[in-house]
Amino acid sequence: MHKYFHIFKISFEEEFAYKWNFILWRFRNVLQIFLTYFLWSTVFSDPTKQVFGYDRTEILTYVFGIMIVRALVLSAKAMSVGNDVASGDLSNYLVKPMNYFMYWMTRDLASKALNLMFAIVEFSVLFIILKPPFLFQTDLTVIVAFLVSIILAILIYFLIMLLLGSIPFWVPEIGWGSHFLVTVVIVEALSGSLFPINILPEVFQSIILATPFPYLIYFPVQVYLGNVTGWALFGGLLIAASWVGVLWTFLNVVWQKGLKVYQSLGR
Amino acid sequence: MTKKLKKYFKIWWMMSVNSFSVVLGQKSALMVFLIGKIFRFSFFFLFLYFLLKGTGGIAGYSSDQIIFFFLTFNFIEVVTQFLFREVYKFRSMIIKGDFDLVLVKPINSLFRVLMGGADIIDLITIPPLVVLIIIYGVSFHPTFAQVLIYLVLLLNGFLIATAFHIAILSFAIITLEIDHAVMIYRDITGLGKFPVDIYKEPLKGFLTYLIPVGVMVGLPSKAIMGLATPVGIIIAILIGVLSMVLAFRFWNSALTKYTSASS
Repeated sequence: MHKYFHIFKISFEEEFAYKWNFILWRFRNVLQIFLTYFLWSTVFSDPTKQVFGYDRTEILTYVFGIMIVRALVLSAKAMSVGNDVASGDLSNYLVKPMNYFMYWMTRDLASKALNLMFAIVEFSVLFIILKPPFLFQTDLTVIVAFLVSIILAILIYFLIMLLLGSIPFWVPEIGWGSHFLVTVVIVEALSGSLFPINILPEVFQSIILATPFPYLIYFPVQVYLGNVTGWALFGGLLIAASWVGVLWTFLNVVWQKGLKVYQSLGR
Repeated sequence: MTKKLKKYFKIWWMMSVNSFSVVLGQKSALMVFLIGKIFRFSFFFLFLYFLLKGTGGIAGYSSDQIIFFFLTFNFIEVVTQFLFREVYKFRSMIIKGDFDLVLVKPINSLFRVLMGGADIIDLITIPPLVVLIIIYGVSFHPTFAQVLIYLVLLLNGFLIATAFHIAILSFAIITLEIDHAVMIYRDITGLGKFPVDIYKEPLKGFLTYLIPVGVMVGLPSKAIMGLATPVGIIIAILIGVLSMVLAFRFWNSALTKYTSASS
């Protein structure tokens, strides 16, 4: 465990070596929140209005909740795995006495810790400036369930990143392309980071909820809002946990097959 | 002048053909990016459709008007990406010192780094977007003058977008940073997916005057709906011209700071 602690420490410090890179990345996150916040704020300009089953407080809590949940779930360094595979740099790690997946998980956690710190500062500043109505959850059961859903979301996203990183074993040239398709397009659209999934018609909801993506943002924020309780909450957590199991199993199969065809090109 | 224009069009054509050949050589990557772009547009369109179905309109605009704002925003964004994709590759040219090779060639260096790599993926998505704009635009029953003003303001929007891209290139020479600068530009202009009227002050003022997203992508749509005033149109054109003048000055100033690092 000691070596992973050092990886965590080095990764954390590494972020400060590229300060501008990090600050501008956080600035972009704030800009994205502006669009979502003002759009929903205009739609719910009348505080008594209810649209799609949400009132103003709930929807703006959803928007602000996205900021924190995104920082925890979607900030990940593991998207570089594909580069390691395509460039042959993976060989450097395979010969070291450490678990490659644990290495990236540790780096992800360092990135999440730093992003969370900044997200809390941004949240506080925007909260003071915009003064949105916000639902502070006080129910301990809901808070625990929210934390569990966040842990599952982090694991799902990590496993998706590793699976995407495995594609260059077979098709090295679409490493960035597959990331664009999944992380920039599909995750942004289907995770609920732009809008709550349940504003869509039932048929679309059912299709989207059958994928792992809504369990990254939408489900944890719904849990925080207290909109998912009882058996529905238990069922949701069980589905998210099942996705972790399915993706983990699939990753192991794909990774082992990938290592067999890996030629360490470029080394 | 005509001879010079012909020469530059020929160069642009040759560079674009080369750029298309590179992309077409990687068919799997082309398909992935094309599917991604179509999916992203379709999903946002779908969201907008269901949102407007539930609300009936936003900030005093009807559903069709909001969709038209979104389509016009997309048109300006896609065309600028099609023309200026090379901007995204400028950083490696600067940090490796390869920009030297551009500077010694007998063509305008800004032209080369701005328009040297047209993107075929964006080109493919332009025709369906134009069809959607025509379908929604016709539904407002605009007069000939309104259509003309829409087209003039679209051109003005492209002028402002070009100025931004030149400013980003200049910024890259000075700071060696471009990736985030261009993405921040896209995030800010992305706020123009909806009319700037939905934003509150000071953000609304910022988007209208300082980073004129409202003028760039919002005003053309207002013109076709008959909501733009003559004074607003004149100010918009002045902003377009002024932004180009400032961008060229910034570029000329940045060139003097180029260090030719690593070369």
